Amino acid sequence: MGRQYEIPVGAQHISLLEPLHFKFTTENERIVRTDANVYYVHRGIEQACCSKFKFRQVSFVVGRVCGLCSISHTTAYSQVAEKLLKIEIPKRAKYLRMLVIELDRIHSHLLCLSHVAENSGFEALFMKTMQYREFSMELLEAVCGNRIQYDFSIVGGVARDLKPETGQLILQRLKNFMPQLEELVGIYQHNWTLSLKNKGTGVLTREDAMRLNVVGPFARAAGLAVDVRNETEDLLPWKEVGFEMITDTAGDVHARNMIRLREIGVSIRLIRNIIDGLPESALLTETKAFPDGEATVRLEAPRGELFYYAKGNKTQVLERLKIKAPTFSNVAGMVHAFTGNEYGSAAAIIASYDPCLSCTAR
Amino acid sequence: MNLASYRKKSPWILHYNAGGCNGCDIEILACLAPKYDIERFGMINTGNPKQSDILLVTGPVTKRSRERLVEIYAQMPEPKVVISCGACASTGGVFRGMYNCEGGVDQFIPVDVYVCGCGTRPEQIIDGVVQALAILEKKTKELEESVKLKREAVKEGHQLNRRHIADEIKPVLS
Ligand code: SF4
Repeated sequence: MGRQYEIPVGAQHISLLEPLHFKFTTENERIVRTDANVYYVHRGIEQACCSKFKFRQVSFVVGRVCGLCSISHTTAYSQVAEKLLKIEIPKRAKYLRMLVIELDRIHSHLLCLSHVAENSGFEALFMKTMQYREFSMELLEAVCGNRIQYDFSIVGGVARDLKPETGQLILQRLKNFMPQLEELVGIYQHNWTLSLKNKGTGVLTREDAMRLNVVGPFARAAGLAVDVRNETEDLLPWKEVGFEMITDTAGDVHARNMIRLREIGVSIRLIRNIIDGLPESALLTETKAFPDGEATVRLEAPRGELFYYAKGNKTQVLERLKIKAPTFSNVAGMVHAFTGNEYGSAAAIIASYDPCLSCTAR
Repeated sequence: MNLASYRKKSPWILHYNAGGCNGCDIEILACLAPKYDIERFGMINTGNPKQSDILLVTGPVTKRSRERLVEIYAQMPEPKVVISCGACASTGGVFRGMYNCEGGVDQFIPVDVYVCGCGTRPEQIIDGVVQALAILEKKTKELEESVKLKREAVKEGHQLNRRHIADEIKPVLS
């Protein structure tokens, strides 16, 4: 048995976007144990949502839980508030919500892929992926009016309509993006250097994924078919617009990359179907009721299952709001999958989890 | 070319997230990407506080990241410029008054440029950084003037610097 060394990574580190602290115990360059510390960015949003803000304002506050999947948070909160108010939202609003969620998924997945490439030491691919990602930011700006904090879903519907020209613009840009996506798939799949770095590292087996309750692309790469879009139909009609489950079996960094790239393909198909079949109706259901009772909502964010619980007491202010973010479920799996890998590939493995600490810590 | 002109032409950036929502962080990343390409100003993103000139901070300072922020700031060499990126880094934004937030970077370290917006647009960030460059130049000049004064004092022989001490020690050792 060799000597063991402890290597800390974080809280501020070049390969991390957010404050996150890992303590790796290594033996002959191999990681034998990992400690994770994720609560650097706890702000106390849940408490503020139940005391300071009225329930209609909360949808803007929970968007600031996370900038990458802010639409997932605002939509999930709006849905849970609509359940408390006992209203049904118009069909066009549902479709527009799905449209923005899928656009957001494209930009989030591309960001994660570029980050994996950068942390694997492939700077040129990072630049390329980021360049191709800009189209989705521009589309989101055209649809919602802002590049990151969209505030698109509000309680009762959506805040903006989709103009027909914008719809055409989206279709046109997606058409331009298709060859670029194929190029990216080619590079991530076949590039020799990248596959040396990514194949076989950070493996999480199917049994471990099941045991550790992993969600999102992380679980789907390990062969676990978990996707909320496949399970719930009542709030957003995913199957109607042609959702398809994608899984892989290898469970390593390469498999996660491929899952993300293929999911981008599915998202593009969904967006096309949504724009083609956009129903005509109002955008907002107005009501003067106050939230009452308890409700839960599950929604598939880019990183996995997002869970909201809310309790109302017939006043303007909610009694309790609970957010469970996908990365929170993944932390156990993340720590587990490091074991046995070389320390040198730890940065790429961290990026491939696509951790979102501001969601986790709220 | 001397150090000052390198510093002006190629400032290095350090980025720290003090508890924000990631929104401004991904826009900083987008600045590095080909569309906005902040590298054409010679800037690169470093991970080491000891090599950087500009500190980009995002997020309302949470109680736990407070010490880290001050520590990073203290490790950076002079001259240094701090940019607070986004509404929540400048004033606290939506997070103002939440129980674990301190509300604004300027409560702990001096901020030179405030960039507004939630989230900030890449154009605004680039604008802020270009403003920071002017401030950096001014700070460099001030710093160099004070260094000149110090040198003269050493020449007069009232103070010993390290070389003098070494000169004195040598004969004793040999
Ligand atoms: S200013 Fe807004 S977008 Fe930027 S980090 Fe703060 S909450 Fe997020």
